[in-house]
Amino acid sequence: MASNSTFTSPALAFELVAKCSTTRARASILTLPHGTVNLPIFMPVATQASLKGLTPQQLEDTGCKLCLNNTYHLGLKPGQEVLDAVGGAHKLQGWSRNLLTDSGGFQMVSLLKLANITEEGVRFLSPHDGSPMLLTPEHSMSLQNSIGSDIMMQLDDVLVTTSPDKARMREAMERSVRWLDRCIAAHKNPDRQNLFCIIQGGLDLEMRRECCREMLARETPGIAIGGLSGGEAKDDFCKVVACCTELLPDLKPRYVMGIGYPEDLVVSTALGADMFDCVWPTRTARFGNAITKHGVLNMKKEVYAADFGPIEDGCGCPCCRPVDEEGSIGITRAFVHHNAAKETVAAHMLTLHNVWYQLNLMREAREAIIADRYPVFVREFFGNLYADPSNYPSWAVDALKGVGVDLLET
Amino acid sequence: MTVDTREFGSAAMSFEILRAALGDGAAARLGRLAFAGRRPIDTPNFIGITSRGAIPHITPDNVARHLNVGGAYMALEDFIERPQQYSTRTPPIYEIPPTAKHQTRLHSFTAMPPSVTTVLGARRLPAVASPMGNTKSSVSVFTSTGFQALTTAEYLAAAQSLQPDIAVPPADLTHSPITPNSKRALRMAERTDEWLEEWFSELQDSPTPVTTFAPVLPIPYPIQWEYLSRLAEDYLPTAQLAGLALYDPDLLPDLASFVPALLPLPRLSLSPPSTPHHILNQIALGIDLLTIPFINTVSDAGLALAFTFPPPTTPPNNPLPLALDLTAPRFATSLAPLTPHCPCGACTTHHAAYIHHLLAAREMLGWTLLQAHNHGVMAAFFAGVRATLAQQDGAAAFARARGEFARAYEAGFPLGMGERPCF
Ligand SMILES: [Zn+2]
Ligand SMILES: [Zn+2]
Repeated sequence: MASNSTFTSPALAFELVAKCSTTRARASILTLPHGTVNLPIFMPVATQASLKGLTPQQLEDTGCKLCLNNTYHLGLKPGQEVLDAVGGAHKLQGWSRNLLTDSGGFQMVSLLKLANITEEGVRFLSPHDGSPMLLTPEHSMSLQNSIGSDIMMQLDDVLVTTSPDKARMREAMERSVRWLDRCIAAHKNPDRQNLFCIIQGGLDLEMRRECCREMLARETPGIAIGGLSGGEAKDDFCKVVACCTELLPDLKPRYVMGIGYPEDLVVSTALGADMFDCVWPTRTARFGNAITKHGVLNMKKEVYAADFGPIEDGCGCPCCRPVDEEGSIGITRAFVHHNAAKETVAAHMLTLHNVWYQLNLMREAREAIIADRYPVFVREFFGNLYADPSNYPSWAVDALKGVGVDLLET
Repeated sequence: MTVDTREFGSAAMSFEILRAALGDGAAARLGRLAFAGRRPIDTPNFIGITSRGAIPHITPDNVARHLNVGGAYMALEDFIERPQQYSTRTPPIYEIPPTAKHQTRLHSFTAMPPSVTTVLGARRLPAVASPMGNTKSSVSVFTSTGFQALTTAEYLAAAQSLQPDIAVPPADLTHSPITPNSKRALRMAERTDEWLEEWFSELQDSPTPVTTFAPVLPIPYPIQWEYLSRLAEDYLPTAQLAGLALYDPDLLPDLASFVPALLPLPRLSLSPPSTPHHILNQIALGIDLLTIPFINTVSDAGLALAFTFPPPTTPPNNPLPLALDLTAPRFATSLAPLTPHCPCGACTTHHAAYIHHLLAAREMLGWTLLQAHNHGVMAAFFAGVRATLAQQDGAAAFARARGEFARAYEAGFPLGMGERPCF
């Protein structure tokens, strides 16, 4: 069902709120079984049903309305039997907001060297006892149904985009379409869980277009662009995203899987994508890295030992917000430095800051889109990140030029 | 036992004895210790132990939100390392400016919530024994970059600069399980005596007061009697002495007999109890405030404390475990709180199955939630102790409940199978 600005399906409503008059950026409201979510959005990754030491309450306080769990990991621990007994992953982790899960296939292929893909599914050796196992589209659906995620992803045949084997790429794309049909047939809870398709086709834009058409015909409530975190050139990445968003309907959420550097988020949003996820912001916190609008700072460096300012000036996260404000913890760079790699709390504080940074970046992007000043926002963003415009990454300059924003214009 | 109220204190600190022991001076008592600007601490009670200024695995916002602790012990050795390339740098904690919210350097550097009372000591609890030993003007401390000498003068300057609510002056301790011979013990007493004299004479002309809890050494009373009588005769009348920090609570009966003037002072124990049975023993001896390192260690081992005081009314057939190993398979699908009716922040939002999963997955949050629970169980335990002592026949009721506790629970902790979190 679709009106002028709203699309509804049994477990999802998508309302387009605003479109940038220059770029393809969009602001929208996605209503899922566990509450509404403002798009564009960054989704933190709580791989094993926990976000690097943050309590669900701390995560909720960052404003996070939708986070990821990984099906592959939850399938191993705690396992499907426990998930069924406990009543799903929301209950397991005490998270009352939305969850998105991947199919488990990508992690198998990337974590297990011996994974092998056939028409039936992904064959691999159990990391527990080495026994042969098989992840089929049906099994992935069953696991994700047990998890109870608000958004489930289809099992797809993932190939690194840089693979030179065109025939294999086509096979993967076509197989992903067939697997979507099997996923749709196996999905037990379409009334309360959304299944998203995943566009494949590597860097071949024609194949991507073909895949878009096939996937769209299956009418899933949301659409993901997959296979893109595999080390392709950023130019190619942007071309694929732009090529797909051009073909996608206005009134469905668009999810670009596995990307999360701030520049990627800002550019992909300009290209018309709505949802992003990445482990980088939380993983990098463990190494003492703070994401700021001026770039990534490593708090382990001696220069921060006696730096009594907040992790980032002007940041509104509980660690950084001015110490006289409600809810401020009053964390200094010096204290993070003092405990980085020594006490887990330093990682927790940086995680809190980094997640906040990413969510806030998307909040600000959204406000700019609604005010129809996204091009200005993009210029300010790059201006903060690079002191000298000649250092702007050319892939970003080119991609943005393609949607009407000239970063180098003075 | 009588119901009486005695006050002891200064502008910065007050200690009210709500129910004192009568007759034999060393016995459990009820009190309230309050520092200006901090949440008052009802005693007997315990304070949290920090590592590098943080309660392990608990961010300061969660200390305020989930951890019912009134105080935090901080070790100066956690802040004064000298990284090789920057060996001459001033420890940053000496330079951080206080803020409107965190009005002391110690609070400001560690972002410890302002409601929490801070206690500063030179060494961690428990401390690593140093192969170098102390000298006549320094204690050997163990920092993240190795052993180094901390002069008594630097330590006093640190206390003045950091402004903890309670400072424990340096004591000449061996931090070894081996009892020092009497010659060494005598030197410990003499040195500590000299250091304290120096401490107070320096402070006399200082504009920054330091609330001082004098160390009582873990050596027999007859060896340190001169030192202890000086506390009563020289520093008590002048109000320089605000409390006692006991490295061996078993000395309390002797103190009560021989230096009763010290009895109104608040008593902080720096002697690590190994189980709740030992905690009750310290309370029975008259300790007001305890430091309990095992809370942090049982959390790291994946154990959830599981005892209450008073113990369950119907005595069990077999002694109950003091803690539950959350890695045990029986918790895999348990939607129950870690212990029945536990009001802690972990148990009110989560269940045993989640903690079990987090431990199996070695996710850091498992240790965070166990810390919240274990500190919560300990806070409830002390509240139970105080409620018992507050009864009409408090002393008898406490003695009775302590006996029941000894019968109801096992003597020691089970071995936890949890592995340290990966991070
Ligand atoms: Zn921040
Ligand atoms: Zn609890």
